[in-house]
Amino acid sequence: MSIPRNAWYPIAASEEVGRAPIARRVLDVPVVLYRTTSGEPVALEDRCAHRPVRLSDGVLEGDLIRSTYTGFTYDPAGRCVSVPTQDHVPYGAAVRCFPVQDDGSFVWVWAGETGLAALRTPPDTALLRDAGWTTFGGSLDTAAGIGLLLDNFCDITHVAQLDQDIAPPALTAGPTPPLEVEVSETTVRFWRRFDASPLAPWNAQVLELPEDAEHEQVEEGEFVGPGYWVDRWTVEVKGHDDRDGQHVFVFSHALTPLSATRTRHIWRVSRNFASSAAADGTLTPLFEAYYARVGEVLEQMQSILDEEGPRPEVAVAADAAVSHVRRIVQRMVADELGG
Amino acid sequence: MTQSAAPLMSEFEADAVVAAAETVADDVVLLTLRPADQAHLPAWTPGAHLDLILGDGSGEVVRQYSLCGSPATRDSYQVAVLRTPDSRGGSEAVHRLAEGDRLRIRGPRNHFPLVSSPRYVFVAGGIGITPMIPMIEEADAAGADWVLHYGGRSSDSMAFRELLTKYGDRVHLVPQDQTGLLDLEAVLGTPAPQTLVYCCGPEPLLRAVEERCHAWPSNSLHLERFTPKERADDGDDAAFEVVLQRSGLTIQVPPGTSVFDSMRDAGVSVLGSCLEGICGTCEQTVLEGDVDHRDSVLDEDEQASNECMMVCVSRARGPRLVLDA
Repeated sequence: MSIPRNAWYPIAASEEVGRAPIARRVLDVPVVLYRTTSGEPVALEDRCAHRPVRLSDGVLEGDLIRSTYTGFTYDPAGRCVSVPTQDHVPYGAAVRCFPVQDDGSFVWVWAGETGLAALRTPPDTALLRDAGWTTFGGSLDTAAGIGLLLDNFCDITHVAQLDQDIAPPALTAGPTPPLEVEVSETTVRFWRRFDASPLAPWNAQVLELPEDAEHEQVEEGEFVGPGYWVDRWTVEVKGHDDRDGQHVFVFSHALTPLSATRTRHIWRVSRNFASSAAADGTLTPLFEAYYARVGEVLEQMQSILDEEGPRPEVAVAADAAVSHVRRIVQRMVADELGG
Repeated sequence: MTQSAAPLMSEFEADAVVAAAETVADDVVLLTLRPADQAHLPAWTPGAHLDLILGDGSGEVVRQYSLCGSPATRDSYQVAVLRTPDSRGGSEAVHRLAEGDRLRIRGPRNHFPLVSSPRYVFVAGGIGITPMIPMIEEADAAGADWVLHYGGRSSDSMAFRELLTKYGDRVHLVPQDQTGLLDLEAVLGTPAPQTLVYCCGPEPLLRAVEERCHAWPSNSLHLERFTPKERADDGDDAAFEVVLQRSGLTIQVPPGTSVFDSMRDAGVSVLGSCLEGICGTCEQTVLEGDVDHRDSVLDEDEQASNECMMVCVSRARGPRLVLDA
């Protein structure tokens, strides 16, 4: 799968970017990130215009960044503003400056045609900052292309095969209920509703419900752009007094293509119940292990593709979401490349 | 327990409220539509269109209109609709809408995407200007070299002419009562390198532009129709077989019945909207077999590639098609 450039990618978590330059990467381009004295994020190509050195190895001077090898100094727009060996700055000396936005959860960069950035908006991540939700998460670099990660999120039925500890029993109880898929030009949302069935023991534990009690459950996934995926698992609790209501896990996946075959995956697990640190203690190791396991499998897929090449795949009915997501991404790439 | 594995497909659909209804030219109303609840409107790109679903006394009226606002505006959609005395009466119903009224919206979808290019020639006739407004904004933002040739009956009939003044001499307004018809020979007579032509407007303009562009490199011309393209010959409808690979089904399509209807009859959920081969909603990926394309969405090259088909109108040339459905 080729990868769209004209898209906002969540290159770092907001708290990772501060007054010390950090090195990141998007679509094979090295990017240095830092904040100005007023806290605005800056994203520049991480390579001095004078010699092949990283600006991320340099230092900040106010809002400027100076290479500690060449001494070339750049402003937040990427313009070279001083060089150590002469009074005037070489004409046109500059490094590429990327459109950048910080929504309080992620720092997003636009890796494509600069002028188009203002006409597109990064996905909405407000839930991650909503006081009604408790969120934890982690991040990992996965040696697999972003397309493999998107395919993976489109179909979570493999959870039942991959991780028996975390999988809801609803997923292993036989053929899954039919998928409902809702599409638009740029989005794909799907959901399936499971009849009342028991919860995984860890899930019953954090909800403080008996392990054998059965509840209706809804799985939902949403592709909102190549750099962001959201899925949800809702447990509809009835007949348990003050425990009744919709208990929802929201899993947010911020994806940045580092290269065609490597992806930065920042994941967040949010819940609208059991906000205690004790619940975090139960949930965090489970999800850390699960996403690490998913990453291993995706890396294996990438290495098989690298060694043996792609092959036509046998598809099943449940691939309706996968095929729509692939189509949207392919269209974005085709429109970018031109006719 | 055996459960049907067939997925149920739908398009994004929401209740919308008319936030503003303004007359922007003779017989042209510009509607600003906001979601009635907290729903997030899906993002879209230039060339996309939206279904308006209007209830009238005798039932539901569904019409497609190009989005004409900016993709950067995420809390509303805008469409501009010309009142036409067509027999189907959709535009009359739209013109009766007032601020605060509710309607259903569905989509957006896009079969007229703006493909990246260093140069564009935009040709709009009348209300065909609507998809060009976001296209121009995008081409300009991308730093492309572009011109717009916009013809209309009269200056007062031409929507968005004030908005277009900011683009200076890239925009050529051609009101017929003052300057006559668009001079397509001057605009398109000589094929230009690395240039894409985008055209939207009434059928005679589309046909004239298609003719002029025969001399251009293939893939240069992109156009959008509001009404089905006239077909010289619909051919004889023969029966054929369609294999739906993902669903694991083989269905028979009898003469006079569409692939779309046959799929629905077999219980396969397939998207559809206009059912006339103009909106592109029912596009399916073709894995095997020769398609008899009868739609007005795909251009000649896309039809020749045989990679996809609009199942509401197109059929098989041979005895069998295999679809990724």
